[in-house]
Amino acid sequence: MNEDFRNHPLLELRLPEVREELLGAMAALDRELPLRPATIVGGTESRGDGERSTDPCDPAREVATLEWAGIDAAERALELALAARWPLRPPEKRVAVLERAAGRLAERRHRMTALIVREVGKPWEDADAEVCEAIDFLRYYALSARRLHDDLIQVPGERNELRLRPRGPAAVISPWNFPLSIPLGMTSAALVMGSPVLFKPAEQSPACGWEIARLLLAAGVDQDALAYLPAGGDLGRWLVAEPRIATIAFTGSVAVGLEIQRRAHESDGQRQIKRIVAELGGKNCVLVDSDVDLDEAVPAIVRSAYGYGGQKCSAAARTLVHQGVADRFAERLSGAVEILRVGPADDFATEVPALIDPGAVSKFNRYAELCTGAELARAQPAAGPQYVSPLLVDAGRLPDDTPVVREEIFGPLLTLERVRDMDQAIGRVRDLPQALTAGIFSRQPDRIDELIERLPTGVVYVDRAITGAIVGRQPFGGNGLSGTGARAAGPSYLRHFADEQVISTNVVRHGVVL
Amino acid sequence: MEAALETRIRELAEELSRTEPVTWRRPAVALGRRQLGSLDGRPALRSALFRFVDAAPACRGPFDRGAHLRAFVREVDGERVPLALRPLRGPAAVGPLLAAYGLASGPATALLARQFIAGRDVKDATRTLRAMWRHGQAFALDLLGESTVSEAEAQAYFKRCAETLRVLADAAREWPEQPLLDADHHGRLARANLSIKLTALTPLLRPLAPERGAADAARRLWPLLQLARELGAHVHLDMEDYDSRETLLLAFEGVLASEEFREAPSVGVVVQAYLRDADETLERILSSPSLTQRAIPPTIRLVKGAYWDHESVIAGQRGWQAPVWAEKRESDACFERLTRRLIDARDSVRPAIATHNLRSLAHAIAYLERCGGERRELELQVLRGLGDDLAEGISRLGYRVRIYTPIGDLVAGMAYLVRRLLENSSNEGFLLRQRHQSLDELLRPPA
Repeated sequence: MNEDFRNHPLLELRLPEVREELLGAMAALDRELPLRPATIVGGTESRGDGERSTDPCDPAREVATLEWAGIDAAERALELALAARWPLRPPEKRVAVLERAAGRLAERRHRMTALIVREVGKPWEDADAEVCEAIDFLRYYALSARRLHDDLIQVPGERNELRLRPRGPAAVISPWNFPLSIPLGMTSAALVMGSPVLFKPAEQSPACGWEIARLLLAAGVDQDALAYLPAGGDLGRWLVAEPRIATIAFTGSVAVGLEIQRRAHESDGQRQIKRIVAELGGKNCVLVDSDVDLDEAVPAIVRSAYGYGGQKCSAAARTLVHQGVADRFAERLSGAVEILRVGPADDFATEVPALIDPGAVSKFNRYAELCTGAELARAQPAAGPQYVSPLLVDAGRLPDDTPVVREEIFGPLLTLERVRDMDQAIGRVRDLPQALTAGIFSRQPDRIDELIERLPTGVVYVDRAITGAIVGRQPFGGNGLSGTGARAAGPSYLRHFADEQVISTNVVRHGVVL
Repeated sequence: MEAALETRIRELAEELSRTEPVTWRRPAVALGRRQLGSLDGRPALRSALFRFVDAAPACRGPFDRGAHLRAFVREVDGERVPLALRPLRGPAAVGPLLAAYGLASGPATALLARQFIAGRDVKDATRTLRAMWRHGQAFALDLLGESTVSEAEAQAYFKRCAETLRVLADAAREWPEQPLLDADHHGRLARANLSIKLTALTPLLRPLAPERGAADAARRLWPLLQLARELGAHVHLDMEDYDSRETLLLAFEGVLASEEFREAPSVGVVVQAYLRDADETLERILSSPSLTQRAIPPTIRLVKGAYWDHESVIAGQRGWQAPVWAEKRESDACFERLTRRLIDARDSVRPAIATHNLRSLAHAIAYLERCGGERRELELQVLRGLGDDLAEGISRLGYRVRIYTPIGDLVAGMAYLVRRLLENSSNEGFLLRQRHQSLDELLRPPA
């Protein structure tokens, strides 16, 4: 498996001609705006208007105009899914569909990158990495579906087999911060294992979602096996409660994730225990030990905390630093935060773009207000309603019970805490219910091992940034309240989307093994 | 013609390598070399020791240093560990023993560093520089430092550069005349010669936005150039990794094009022959319209390039074709190509060939001779600690040699030191190869 898989190459954006090409793709996309995404059920598109998505960096720019899908559309889609022949298709065919989709996406990468930049305000480098991740998901799951088999113990006269069976319709409910790769990953995993999918994208990114649905249908997914249902939370709640849905694949906040757990089996007429594959938020900590190389740590932490404005579930939220280096670290980190470039996502110089929507801005401002008087550094915001000023905060000057160090802010705010030693730091990380990613900057191998062992998080990064997980290299997912334990793009991810069936056949006839 | 050139290359290489080693002047150098040589074939041990050297200055006292050394040494698997380090692997490696190792390793690291780094600061290094000058060797001073992540750090580096330029110019004024070092075919050569890291002069270096970094760096580069003009000093822009290359070229082109610096100071830039686009880069510089309008032609230092592993690893992780040649011989061939191009262009630039590769060096000299050039038209450069023997040979042949001489404290110098150590002890490194291979193998033309 590992030898056969290659991550799709990133664009080499440091070359001017490559940047030019992307700017060309953006100009072409801008001429098409607003896009008109449709609800797709049974291969039929239906359009309307009244809803829209806008460019976070310039909210006057409309990226998509559309109508939300209603419960009736979802109802129809579910009936089609239940009757679909997709689960009966030979696995080889389903695998081929994913591979074809990967190829088509690779051909259209520039346009997709531009669309991500526009619709969710993600800077070029991150948007390009996301397109590569999406291609990787398709290829990785295709390859991984081919390799899934389990050997059971065999004795003479008995043939034992373990098969993976499609589970039935899956609901994919996805976030806006990775509007292409995350929903495509969840959708393709369900599809390749034979489950029809009802896909509801985030309200903020319906155009990206529409591209995914069109890509998969064009690549050969049966029309009744994939429905595209752009809509708000009410449709999400309907999908979660619906007894005929077998699997819920969700990426989003801890609060919504827990709500899904509560509501999934509330309605009457449940036919199965729903499988919930949930990727939830984090409150990710970076530990900085006394022997740190600050030249490495400072830029890596800045990237982890402020890249895409902190709007990644893996983003660094807290840094816990050994008192021996705390002053120097705080000084250098502050200096690096002050020069962060806030600006439009389509500017190659931008490091921190606008936040996704006005709600995110007021949420950020609420936390920022709680930090008044404890700021260590801030960067200049850009002009525009959804820009905020990236903040570095001294957590030592906040009250002990402050939510700033416990709740996921999802914005460019990092807190800095001095700790006596790494034991104290570990204690604080373990106090948190979230356990998604963590980082360690230390250079003593035995101490690093000891720290890793005591960190509860799903992913631990040593001496590097804590964002930017890559398919097959850093399977991604959280422990604790941060998720149900599946690791996206890991060797066992697909199993969450299938039922196991064991077949034992007696092959003794008339006292002879036949 | 080619055959004649090859014959001459061989003669020159023999002449250069006949030079007596100068290690007697610095016994620690000889000792260090023997130890480094003994790491050849023991990659795990080498990696452990270098990681220790890298981390040691950041440790809190002897005990912490000892604990680090123990952890690194215990990771070495399947290789013979030197007798002196073996107690660290045993159960007794606690408390006082660790502190003892920590205490001993401090001076050991410092001694090692001293081979490659001439002093903490410029005042500390002036005696060494004067001794080198009297001995017939010019210098290019390099200020080692932490990387620059903030405005304040860029400003601090700027101040260090300015202070260094002043001290250097002041000290060098009193030194005796050295005709070979003091002038070339274009006229007077600056004695005070400072290499500058553009990445340290701005915190805004971003590979995706080179114009922004270049503009910010220029804010501090300009006052430095004004100062250098006033002091009659030379300012050289060092090349670093490929991510910063475009920013650096833009900044250099800005200097070339400026009216203000047309008369002075003397400036320079670097071309790295290990880059696949090195030929284009050199052409870009040589065809710059402002080149010929300068009163003092710029110095172009040709190097092989020091970030090969870094570039290959980064490119590999991202799925890119590496910007560097895959094969050493390709870099070598490129180096010779560019050497010729530079020597051909010596009327409009000052060529400086910086290499420890015997063949590359001999080739440059042989080619200059073939072109009928005078010795003073070519400058040869080596690194302190690595090219000391070669420097003697170069002087003996009557060529001007400039020694790239880093200064800085141990913490700041560690990245530089570890890179030098790796070169000095790696199997692939030319230094070991030159020790082990026959002259025939070393002098084979790169194809």
